[in-house]
Amino acid sequence: MKTRIQKLNEMDKVIQEIAKDLGLDWFPQEFDVIPERKMIELLAYRFPRNFSHWSFGRDFEFERTKHDYGFGIPYEVVLNTNPSRAFLININPFPIQVLVMAHVYAHNNFMKNNIHFAPTRRDVLTSVSSAATRFREYEEIYGLDEVEKIIDAGMALQYNTNFDFFIKDGTEERSERLKYQKTKKRDPLDDFFPKKPDGKEYKKRQKECLRRTPMEPDRDILLYIIKNAPLEDWQKDILSVIRDQMRYLYPQMRTKIMNEGWATYWHMRIMNRLFEQGYLTAEDHGYYSLYNSRVLAMNKYHLNPYIVGLKIWEDIEDRWNKGKFGKEYRECDDLRVKEKWDKKLGLGKEKIFKVRDTYSDRFFFEEFLTEKLVDDLDLYIYASIEHPDGSITDIIIEDDWQVIKRLLVQAHTTFGIPHIEVTDGNYKGRRELYLKHLFEEAPLDPEYREKTMEHIYDLWQNPVHLETVEIELKIPEDRLAILSDIFGSIPQKILDELGIDKKEKGVIYTYDGKKHTVWEIELKRNKNSQLRLS
Amino acid sequence: MAVNEQEWTEHGEKDAARHREKIKKAIMENIADIISEESIITKKGDDIVKVPVKGIKSYHFKHGEKGGAGAGQGKGKKGDVIGQRKKGGKPDRKAGDEPGIDYLETEITIEKLIEMMLKDLGLPKLQKKETAQLEIPKGWTFEDIEKKGLQSNLDKKRTIKQAIKRTAVFVKTIMEEAGCTKEEAEAALWRAKGDINEALELLKKGRVTLEEGEVPKPYIFNDDLRFRTLKEDVEYQSNAVIIAMMDVSGSMSTYKKYIARSFFWWMKNFLETIYENVRIIFVSHHAEAKIVDEETFFHKGESGGTHCWSAYDLAHHLTETEFPTEKWNIYAFHFSDGDDWDTRKTVESVKKLLPRCNMVGYGEIHDQMDDVDWLQGKLMKDLVKGLNLHEIETEDGLEIFENTGEEALFLGITINGKEDIYPALREFLKKER
Repeated sequence: MKTRIQKLNEMDKVIQEIAKDLGLDWFPQEFDVIPERKMIELLAYRFPRNFSHWSFGRDFEFERTKHDYGFGIPYEVVLNTNPSRAFLININPFPIQVLVMAHVYAHNNFMKNNIHFAPTRRDVLTSVSSAATRFREYEEIYGLDEVEKIIDAGMALQYNTNFDFFIKDGTEERSERLKYQKTKKRDPLDDFFPKKPDGKEYKKRQKECLRRTPMEPDRDILLYIIKNAPLEDWQKDILSVIRDQMRYLYPQMRTKIMNEGWATYWHMRIMNRLFEQGYLTAEDHGYYSLYNSRVLAMNKYHLNPYIVGLKIWEDIEDRWNKGKFGKEYRECDDLRVKEKWDKKLGLGKEKIFKVRDTYSDRFFFEEFLTEKLVDDLDLYIYASIEHPDGSITDIIIEDDWQVIKRLLVQAHTTFGIPHIEVTDGNYKGRRELYLKHLFEEAPLDPEYREKTMEHIYDLWQNPVHLETVEIELKIPEDRLAILSDIFGSIPQKILDELGIDKKEKGVIYTYDGKKHTVWEIELKRNKNSQLRLS
Repeated sequence: MAVNEQEWTEHGEKDAARHREKIKKAIMENIADIISEESIITKKGDDIVKVPVKGIKSYHFKHGEKGGAGAGQGKGKKGDVIGQRKKGGKPDRKAGDEPGIDYLETEITIEKLIEMMLKDLGLPKLQKKETAQLEIPKGWTFEDIEKKGLQSNLDKKRTIKQAIKRTAVFVKTIMEEAGCTKEEAEAALWRAKGDINEALELLKKGRVTLEEGEVPKPYIFNDDLRFRTLKEDVEYQSNAVIIAMMDVSGSMSTYKKYIARSFFWWMKNFLETIYENVRIIFVSHHAEAKIVDEETFFHKGESGGTHCWSAYDLAHHLTETEFPTEKWNIYAFHFSDGDDWDTRKTVESVKKLLPRCNMVGYGEIHDQMDDVDWLQGKLMKDLVKGLNLHEIETEDGLEIFENTGEEALFLGITINGKEDIYPALREFLKKER
């Protein structure tokens, strides 16, 4: 009799043949079959053999408790490495393992070809485990509390970093370029006819520029701190590792809808072939349908990337097959003609492969989320309304497809990460750190702001300032319901409908290592930072 | 071969323990706030309290969103209500939509809380009365908790705790799987007799509603059962009686009474946790003192004039009759706002009672918001004079007066608000005294 592993290896070959036939390519794929506990740990720690931290432990314990009663186990974890490594749970039934393997090949194909993954380190696992070893040594030398303090602070800033891989960060070349740009005379024609910087003026500007740190506002708070805070090498090492790990994970955040939709699209097609060709039985089909429907279930409080992604991919394919795009189609206003539109172009496959190569979720939504899809997917925007008795009603506030689309595009541009920059690392000439929140949507959560500033203080070891905007709401008294904390992300139109008056004020928060203080400043708003949804 | 079996050592367990340790630390740091929570004194030992724990979240800059808006999927048009829930019953959003998962509150039993506080406080000093020392068979102590055991050794408390814990996980899972509110998930689980799969099926079919008055409770599964293993234990201990005296006169505002009750409630729970045979006598007084039962002491309000001496005299009477000093360690505690009609007489009564006790403690509650401020603090001032007390320094910044030279200790503490409850407990129960 064949062992389980032998059977899976056979299926692996069959899946590869089918996937190849369907037009997919991939990095060499390795599967590790692991016990559930390991899978839970992998989920909590992001990488196998990652460093030790209480927050990973917390997530591990939570997931494990859930799992002890048979729920909440992910079907697979795939790492964006070359060769690609994926993990399967040893007790999953055979047809589910096959489904997961098919799903993994599609992820592999996506990560190999999508441009956002191109600059990531595909050998990340080696660096992860060696970092874990170093962290353990630091613990032995400097003590758990000291190491934890740095990891805590690094984790608090991991999202405030530069995710743009196409610009190499912090290279000499960049700072030289900046120095040059900042010091030369500004002339609109400079870009076309670069001039040599001239004597006095140049020296003066250069001096001024060199005094300023950072030379231009820097969104990469974490990197700025690594380079400029009075830290020891081991502390810088820890922060850099955390920063690198988050940057590595970022392309996955950025393409989650596309990637999961893509994997679902292909696993369904591969599985159908397997059933047609008799590799899987009718009984297997029962399992498969059950799991597949669970993967595709809708949730009233959040988007399911599997179904949303899948439907968009299928729609793109259908539209490009039938020629439902371009000026002629767009300008046709006879709905019946539009419905039956079919130029039999057969460009669907080609189009989805092209989209796979260069898009991210933001543009995926912006370009391909149609009225029909919003309708088919039953998408809506809800808000939570708090009543005086403390109860909360969740209510649909928007079902207009264009508003929904705009909000989704916005959500997949910022991922809810506030845009905060270091504008001055030598504030008041006293090496105090001045941060500025470029207010776009919503004010910062006060508790999180305070604690994060404390973490920054731990690293910077000097007072930290943060400039931001606070919002005051005036809610009509006759209203029973109070809209709580959702004002920032809700279109002005809706606030008007509800009769809610909004007022903004500029503030600077300061943490000096002992206490938090705040003072008001005049609110300066430039044209570009208008509320996007108003 | 592309498919392999893999093993690697896990460290999740170690980090999880570190996280639990941090929760404990956070609770201890906030304990003065937690224990002065008004709702707590209506609870019993194995009740669970929700404790807001600061400092164990993963902090980062994020937009404030308590209720929040979001995108969801389902049938419905603008204005349709998709969920109705109590505060705190957040819609469960999947991780990944936003960075980081956080747990805002932790649950802890009063029992556990007391245990943690005792570690912090140390045990109160009980003087040994040789003649009254008794051999107290503490019966059996439980050494260990196991999943299998004799039915008679079933640890009901832990079993139920386990069932509650598991049910909470089920509810959360159902919320996630079915995308429903906490209430719906609990109702469905109750209807399905605890079977999570069935509950999910029920929710798929439609709304699950409960009859009026029907409250979902956890079902207990075999897997939840916890048993103890036993060990015989004998302990030698002294008899102790605590005379808890509280001013319930008109000048004691609701807030002051709540501080006094909160103090006594914790004291009672501490002492009952530590000592097998501690007796607590509840005395409430206005112009007249009387012995009341626990329920009345903690929950009923009264009013009238104020004669503090009446309580001390009643206590003195008790030491002569029911609790003779040769057999009992006697501790008397009195809480008042100091608005006493005859402080001279009260000082005399205290002087009379003091030699019969191991310790007399007096807590005077001052309320900055109070209009009749000139009356406050009257008794403390006269006690300081009459008993020749001197002020001592503490790290908590409390105002404490102590006598010197006497066999029995007198301790007076001024309490300025609910945040002083815990430090006052610490001072009254301090090991070194």
